[in-house]
Amino acid sequence: MGFEQDYKGLQDYYEARRLNTRIHVIQVLFGAVLVLYLFAFWYLQIVKVDYYRRLSDNNRLRRVTIKPLRGVITDAEHRVLANNRVAFNVRLDREKVTDMKTFFPRLAGILEMPESTLRDRIARYRGRPVFEPVVLKEDVDLAEAAYIESRRLELRGLSVEVESRRNYLYGPLAAHALGYVGEVSEDQIKTDPSGEYELGEIVGKDGVERQYDEDLKGDKGWKQVVVNSLGREIQEIEAGRKPDPGRALRLSLDLDLQRALEAAYADEAGSAVFLDPASGAILAIISRPAYDPNVFAHRFSQDIWGGLVNDPRRPLQNRVSMSKFAPGSVFKIVMSIAALEDGIATPARGDHCTGTWRFGEKVYQCWAVRKGGHGYLTMREAIIQSCNIYFYHLGNDMGIDRISKWAHRFGFGEPTGVDLPHEESGTVPDPDWKRRTVLRDPIWHPGETISVSIGQGALEVTPIQMAMFAAAIGNGGTLYRPHLLLSREVREGIEEDERQDHVIRRVELRPRTLEVIRDAMWGVVNEDGTGGRAKIAGRDICAKTGTAQVFRASRDIDADKLPKDKRDHAWFVGFAPKDNPRIAWAVFVQNGGHGGTTAAPIARAVLERFFQKLDSRQGVQQLASVAVPQ
Amino acid sequence: MPAWRSLNNFDWILFLAILATCSVGLAVIYSATTGTPSAGAFHRQMTYAFYGIGLLFLALTLVFGRVVNASKSWLGAGGVQFQPSEIAKAATILMLAAYMGRERVRGLGVVHFAAICLIIGLPVLLIMRQPDLGTAVTFAPLFAGVVFIGGIRVRTLLILGLIATLALPMAWGHLKPYQKERVKTFLEPTRDPKGSGYQLIQSLIAVGSGGLLGKGFLAGTQGQLQFLPEQHTDFVFAVLAEERGFIGAMLALGLYFVIIYRCIATARAARDRLGVFLAIGVVCVFAGQALLNIGVVVGLLPTTGVPLPLMSYGGSSLASTLLGMGLVLNVWMRRLVN
Repeated sequence: MGFEQDYKGLQDYYEARRLNTRIHVIQVLFGAVLVLYLFAFWYLQIVKVDYYRRLSDNNRLRRVTIKPLRGVITDAEHRVLANNRVAFNVRLDREKVTDMKTFFPRLAGILEMPESTLRDRIARYRGRPVFEPVVLKEDVDLAEAAYIESRRLELRGLSVEVESRRNYLYGPLAAHALGYVGEVSEDQIKTDPSGEYELGEIVGKDGVERQYDEDLKGDKGWKQVVVNSLGREIQEIEAGRKPDPGRALRLSLDLDLQRALEAAYADEAGSAVFLDPASGAILAIISRPAYDPNVFAHRFSQDIWGGLVNDPRRPLQNRVSMSKFAPGSVFKIVMSIAALEDGIATPARGDHCTGTWRFGEKVYQCWAVRKGGHGYLTMREAIIQSCNIYFYHLGNDMGIDRISKWAHRFGFGEPTGVDLPHEESGTVPDPDWKRRTVLRDPIWHPGETISVSIGQGALEVTPIQMAMFAAAIGNGGTLYRPHLLLSREVREGIEEDERQDHVIRRVELRPRTLEVIRDAMWGVVNEDGTGGRAKIAGRDICAKTGTAQVFRASRDIDADKLPKDKRDHAWFVGFAPKDNPRIAWAVFVQNGGHGGTTAAPIARAVLERFFQKLDSRQGVQQLASVAVPQ
Repeated sequence: MPAWRSLNNFDWILFLAILATCSVGLAVIYSATTGTPSAGAFHRQMTYAFYGIGLLFLALTLVFGRVVNASKSWLGAGGVQFQPSEIAKAATILMLAAYMGRERVRGLGVVHFAAICLIIGLPVLLIMRQPDLGTAVTFAPLFAGVVFIGGIRVRTLLILGLIATLALPMAWGHLKPYQKERVKTFLEPTRDPKGSGYQLIQSLIAVGSGGLLGKGFLAGTQGQLQFLPEQHTDFVFAVLAEERGFIGAMLALGLYFVIIYRCIATARAARDRLGVFLAIGVVCVFAGQALLNIGVVVGLLPTTGVPLPLMSYGGSSLASTLLGMGLVLNVWMRRLVN
């Protein structure tokens, strides 16, 4: 062996050793990483096992809400006004359809719907999990549901789903009072403090449905299910909780009176409320134009909804409590009471009406100006004839502060607290109010007092305030909060009356004042006054008409020939009978012209039905007392 | 979950048949590759040809490849589909071994280093064009292993490290948005729990909820209810850890350790340099993939999409792994032959 070879051998030896060392390094490196992983598994699976177990359970377990049935709404005599009915929806399970192309034409034929509509509805579910069924047609009738069920084999994926749906038995009857239901808005979900609302949940949107949603909606039930990563239910694992149905509500409404009222309104716009002067319980309530609340229960009602919202006649507005109008001559009752109580005038105060009165630079007219005025009048005659000149003078003597004080006492200018959402306060103007709100002309002018004296000017009231006022005159001065809720079902079959005291306040009135006012209001209807069309023999109906000006007609224009939307609003507000009144009301007809012409007959129709029922009930009671001798 | 009933219904005959076929496959590959390390001229030419074919397939893939998950990584004719990148991987190992084992190379000169870069760089570039970052990444341990075993100087290593550190921000700019997203998500998984952080979180939940003993065969809710994505490829080890628990994971980790350890033992016992580099090349690719994959599952590494050798579903990967193991077995068998 030569040196070179030895050297080479030595080099080989060192090279082999180095190689060996490097291999060893790699071995250690891999070993170290494996040990690191061992600790990683130990940490995740042994140390943090509880944490990850919980996350794993949260992943696969879902709480599924079971919707409760909504509470039934009935009238005072337990006649159902709103309940729930079974609805059939046609659904498509997209997963089961293999060939959409040939499927669509057949589907369109069977459902009798255009293909384009079907495609649109399916397109809306693009991006949603494929097992989520698409509702193609809502609320089909039983025959169609049966027909589709019978053809299921032929059309795989098509099925009929049964759903509970709100049902208003009489459609638009008392629509604004009952309200309607709909899917909860995202806003509501965010702002609700209880945080109980879920997307897609049905809640009350207006009227009683909204006001008493808490009672009506019931308690949701739930079940626990195992779901996969797509959210599809794999199995149910716990019993969960059954849903509790909502409470049944009994309203003070009387379906018979309500129907009479609906019929009497015919095509007129406006609103009316009839209530019990001894409690404030609302017996009948209407707002026109109305809508059918059933349409809101549909999923595909966008166009109907848009039509209602954009309708210039504003059918969604509840004109009983959400709209305010000038009270017109009805306010003369407030004027009279204020004058009598504050000692400004006695019932004997006389005045002379020539048809016009110059005050400052302006000439104020009486509606009787064309026949040369009313001549000499006392207070009673001024109310019966609804003379403007008499009350101009009275208002001028009294001053705006007194008028405002008494209007406020009777609840004008503040919400009555009726159990309906979004109530309007109305306006009772006075110098202070004007300074605060009318910034371009903050000074109170004496002429404004004159306008307010006959219920015009900035004065605005709601029909519900007017009805409460009429009831107060009838019952001797007590303001009862108007309300619809009579009782609610606490447990199945057990009702609990509303124990709430509905008295807002008692306005102290001298008996003499009440006597004069009631007598004058009796005269309005029974003594050839402005409300003669409401007269029912033997019923002693007391009322006051009112006309709220919409368009200032000059002396030469015949008001009856004006276009309908320029005509005045008509009021007819009162109570009956004169002694121990059983019913009070405010009837308002939008653009109805004179109160006595259009509003009085509507009240009369309802009152006839009311007294007819009262008589038969009393007859039964008499019979009962005869049949059971003491 | 009726785990035991399912287990009774398990087709043991099919299972054993598959196991036997795999063994036969391993034996055939072993026999087919016998003699390769003898470094004869003919075999070297075979190696060059194999490497060339691997590159050709990669190039063809870029033109005719089938797009799966936004990358063109599959080549197929008729019913046969395969990933050329897996063939290229095996070919590259052979090529590197053939080159590094060619003569008595002392230390690692610039020429050698450049040659290694070229041999690895060609397939990597083609694979990144697909783009299949996951497969491309598996070449990194191979590169590191060969360069290290080849005897790179510590000084050179430091300089290269410095260059790499400086180049890193530049490379960041060249990454695709989804790749950046993956790295960001790895650093902060809760950033986007429904998006790219989802996989990582679901994997950790699967592993962690397995506990000591696991939820049982077919009873892993994370896997069975499809919360785990890519559960038969990238996250197969998470399924194992969930259903079999810490004990199962440790057994599997132990098996991988044995395989890696035996491969390294083979490298140490190899008769010649060719054998050393073959065994090192195979073990680096194998261990690199295994450790990358499991590192992702336990949240120590960002999602790369590297399959777990021998466990992940995928014929091409299994074939190339078995091919590599066949080579290592040969090296071991021939350690005493002179």
